[in-house]
Amino acid sequence: MIAARELTKRYGPVVAVDHLSFTVPQGEVTGFLGPNGSGKSTTMRLLVGLDAPSSGSITIDGRRYGELRFPLREVGALLDADALHPGRSARNHLVWLADSNRIPRRRVDEVLASVGLSEAGHRRAGELSLGMGQRLGIAAALLGDPQVLIFDEPINGLDPEGIVWVRHLLRSLAAEGRTVLVSSHLMSEMAVTADNLIVIGRGRLLATGRVADFIERSSGHHVRVVTPDADVLGELLRHKGGVVTRDGPEGLTVDGVECRDVGILAAAAGLTIYELSTQHASLEEAFMELTHEHADYRAMPQAGAGSAA
Amino acid sequence: MTGSAGVAVEPPGVVGPGVAAVRPPAVATGLGPVLAGATRSEWTKLRTVRSTMWALLFTAVSTVVFGVLLTALEVSRWDQRSLTEIKGFDPLLYSFAGLNVAQLSVGVLGVLVMTSEYATGSIKLTFGATPQRALVLAAKVAVFSAVVAAVSIVSCAVVFFTCQALLAPRHAGVSITDPHVLRAVLGGVVHIVLIGAIAVGLGATLRRTAGAVALLFAVLLVLPGLVTLLPSPWNDDITRYLPNSAGAAMSAVVRFPNLLSPLAGFVVLLAYTAAVLGAATLVLLRRDA
Repeated sequence: MIAARELTKRYGPVVAVDHLSFTVPQGEVTGFLGPNGSGKSTTMRLLVGLDAPSSGSITIDGRRYGELRFPLREVGALLDADALHPGRSARNHLVWLADSNRIPRRRVDEVLASVGLSEAGHRRAGELSLGMGQRLGIAAALLGDPQVLIFDEPINGLDPEGIVWVRHLLRSLAAEGRTVLVSSHLMSEMAVTADNLIVIGRGRLLATGRVADFIERSSGHHVRVVTPDADVLGELLRHKGGVVTRDGPEGLTVDGVECRDVGILAAAAGLTIYELSTQHASLEEAFMELTHEHADYRAMPQAGAGSAA
Repeated sequence: MTGSAGVAVEPPGVVGPGVAAVRPPAVATGLGPVLAGATRSEWTKLRTVRSTMWALLFTAVSTVVFGVLLTALEVSRWDQRSLTEIKGFDPLLYSFAGLNVAQLSVGVLGVLVMTSEYATGSIKLTFGATPQRALVLAAKVAVFSAVVAAVSIVSCAVVFFTCQALLAPRHAGVSITDPHVLRAVLGGVVHIVLIGAIAVGLGATLRRTAGAVALLFAVLLVLPGLVTLLPSPWNDDITRYLPNSAGAAMSAVVRFPNLLSPLAGFVVLLAYTAAVLGAATLVLLRRDA
């Protein structure tokens, strides 16, 4: 289990991570979500001990990363896939990593095969494509067969086949009982991959919870109607307390009235309906709403006091 | 809980079985295996990049070629030498002329041992694999020094025996068994090894190739020239304590008045090395990677 407690990191006057507290359970995929520059990568750097926290802590099973003797056997991390010497072969890149943590060399060939790079092992790292480099980075994370895995934007640069492969990999790693933390700025990707979400913005925690709950809680829905009598139906819906916005010459978007009630109302008035459906707000919209609110709150801390009621 | 009586008789420092069972085995491992792993890893890194091998080859070749060329030149003008030249002739002076070039290429390579990791970003993986950064530095210095020592021993031996063979017809050569000669040859090796270790330390401290190489070259090439411009006796007093003068003192057979004793030269160069590596360790431990 990964646990952050009041984790804070300042770079000069900039607060990159601001009193962040969360836990990442084992046996599940936890999505670490936030817009670019929200502090995801900084949090991951703090987790693997590259940077020291200004205050607070982040631990793996109660221990700081720096206390680990052979960390690759306990924590596998993909932070920056192109952070390797371009002149060294892909296989030798894994060999030096394995040597450092006294991992048997046969693991190198195992992980190369498991990411589909057996044929490319002799090629220089600098000659690998973006997607192959990403696979090599994932191979490095898997090298020590660790219980905890951390992936920073793992699908960057992958083709559709690769994206599906990463999804399956993350799911199967979690199914084996491992702790999997994966960052992304894409809500839609997290919706299909993750069990839990940690959402941050400007270094602060915005929300945590199950992905399913998150979708349920945060996605508002509205009713879309297409009718030649848009003006008439719009008026009727407003009387029912709906908030109606016009969407083209024949379209209406309705909030506050359920789909079936719109149908009943239209039938009673004898109006023709071409289309009637409930529209769920996309996860991206929900995510942007969440992070925007936070940004507004941050920008105008005084404004909330008077207008809250 | 075993009761207070049981705890009281337990000698201090002994960890109870309950505590030992909870403690994860990986933490209980000493730092020795970590250093061993880091050292093996650094050796793999060094030998799997082609540019390292080229730079080492250049070092060896320049040591031999410059020494042999300058010795051959000296032999060819043997009869035209002045009395002072003959009096002050060190049988290793021309043989080891190439060390002046070799220390520069070893210096650049030593800097790159650290700075190439910062330039490519692989330092994140290195410190991610071995969070004990002081041990990483120790492993890098140990591996690089060992490799440089191996290359230098071979190239110094080759240049020594070749040059002494060239000098033999003039009866100016020395044997490895003559007084001070073996010490001087090994001194040349130690000189190169310590410059290499200093270079690794500079790379770790400054992190940028250009800055570290510039500083190293300034100390080895520019500073000696500037110091000679100082009024006497400051110029000579300071010169003998500069890194390359201290190194040259170790590899001289004849005792030159403007150089330290071989032992003092060794101590001075070792002190520079310790100071730079100490600063590098502090920087590595304190600064974010």
